[in-house]
Amino acid sequence: MNAFYTWIGGLALQGFLPSDFQYPFLVRGFLCVLIIAPILGGMSHLVVTRRMAFFSAALGQAAITGVALGLLLGEPLNAPYGGMFGFCLLSTLAMVYVKRHATLPPDTLIGVFHALTLGLGLCLLVALTRQFNVHQVESVLFGSLLTVTDGDLLLLVGIGIFVALMLVRKYNSLLLDSLSPPLARVTGAEPAYLEYFFALLLTLSIVVSLKIIGALLVEALVVVPAAAARNVARGTRSYLIWSVAVAFVAGAGGLGISTRFLVPTGGAVVLAATAMFFLTLMARSMGRRGPA
Amino acid sequence: MTEGDAATLLEIDALTVRRHGEALLEGVTLRVRRGSVHVLVGPNGAGKTTLLSTVVNQIPFDGQIVLNWAGSGAIGYVPQIFAVDPTLPVTVADFLALTRQRRPICLGLTRRVRAEVARLLARVGLSGLEARPLAVLSGGELRRVLLAHALDPEPELLLLDEPTAGFDESAARIFEALVLDAKRTGRTTVLMVSHDFELVRRLADRVTVLDRRVVIEGTPDILSTEGVRELLPVRERRAVRA
Repeated sequence: MNAFYTWIGGLALQGFLPSDFQYPFLVRGFLCVLIIAPILGGMSHLVVTRRMAFFSAALGQAAITGVALGLLLGEPLNAPYGGMFGFCLLSTLAMVYVKRHATLPPDTLIGVFHALTLGLGLCLLVALTRQFNVHQVESVLFGSLLTVTDGDLLLLVGIGIFVALMLVRKYNSLLLDSLSPPLARVTGAEPAYLEYFFALLLTLSIVVSLKIIGALLVEALVVVPAAAARNVARGTRSYLIWSVAVAFVAGAGGLGISTRFLVPTGGAVVLAATAMFFLTLMARSMGRRGPA
Repeated sequence: MTEGDAATLLEIDALTVRRHGEALLEGVTLRVRRGSVHVLVGPNGAGKTTLLSTVVNQIPFDGQIVLNWAGSGAIGYVPQIFAVDPTLPVTVADFLALTRQRRPICLGLTRRVRAEVARLLARVGLSGLEARPLAVLSGGELRRVLLAHALDPEPELLLLDEPTAGFDESAARIFEALVLDAKRTGRTTVLMVSHDFELVRRLADRVTVLDRRVVIEGTPDILSTEGVRELLPVRERRAVRA
């Protein structure tokens, strides 16, 4: 990878690329954005269609608890994937199971899990500050480019390819199930399987994106791109294209803001995404007011 | 699937559905003959929709439901409720393509599927509506799209839950012709919930009057009997007298 970073750095120094690319961590960050945008953008349009925005928020909180658990159990600070993935997986399975078997509305049940993981996460974080400086944990909460390694990038590529392949296989069934579970069932799909399947893909996507976006803000990137896309999309194809485009522009724009103004990457990315949302909302209103 | 009567496609025995301790259906036993049009009628809350939901295994139940498939085993279904999120950008063509192409529809529709969608829409009198979002369709148009979806590929069992709700006269004529076509082939069995008694008289081979349990079953003529008329809402009673 070093040869690649040197080559890109050389192109930046010669003026063929923006000067920021002479720094390997920024090149790595840009590559991460290139991968995260289609993953989270692609997932986001199904998350919103399947009404799983609140579920994603609970999963982000679960990731904080998972990170704290992993670090307390001795995982390295720059790669607490075991605790994060383990606890998120457990939370996902529990949320989907309880949602399917309880009679309460899904948002009420997820609210219960949200409170549980947040409470547990806060208690564990306080315990964690006895062992680590809180600033060391900050990068996991808010995202930071400085802590992203080549290993994280490779993991992101691997998971990205896996998630994309799985989505391609089941996309049509997932969408039909979102529209009408009985119709999906009569065509041979199993709604329970689809619900677990999609929740697990979402968990994987969120966990691998955390080091860039941060646990507190990752939920925004699985909701806002699709929300912005809905303002302008006219069909399923443009819905996907707009979701991915918004995620990419927000990612690349946030990266630029983060390096220029030295603010957390996650915060900058989410601000850029919400700015895109309001821009598309304005475009929609102007389109409506335009000549017939 | 258990061994069943070859002339019967659907066998329902002692079907009971409870919610919060209250019986929505109790001890319902029903036989639907292969190739027939069988209509369920009854007052609101009689359990008609619940019965269809059990056939597609959507809700838990006690009792036994046996489907004696002899052909494709395909089920076509027009549910009573199909709530579309008003901001969802899924077009009519996208929706109809969902089960007709393997490639994710968000990557675009193939030429073959576009032609197929156009043919399906023409069949229900909605040619040219491919690019219209589902969310802006009228109730009647949406039910015709659902009907187009349910009729292809040719189902062995067609479940229709108040399929003509919101239909204008021409849509109702198209619907009737499609069901009669399916009946003529003998390959499709129809189980339908309907409050349109004129339609029931014209289409049905058998009628079951349901009020959480089977009240009476027979030919469409049973709708005129005194006990049955008392069970039905006023609007339907008028239709029976006419």
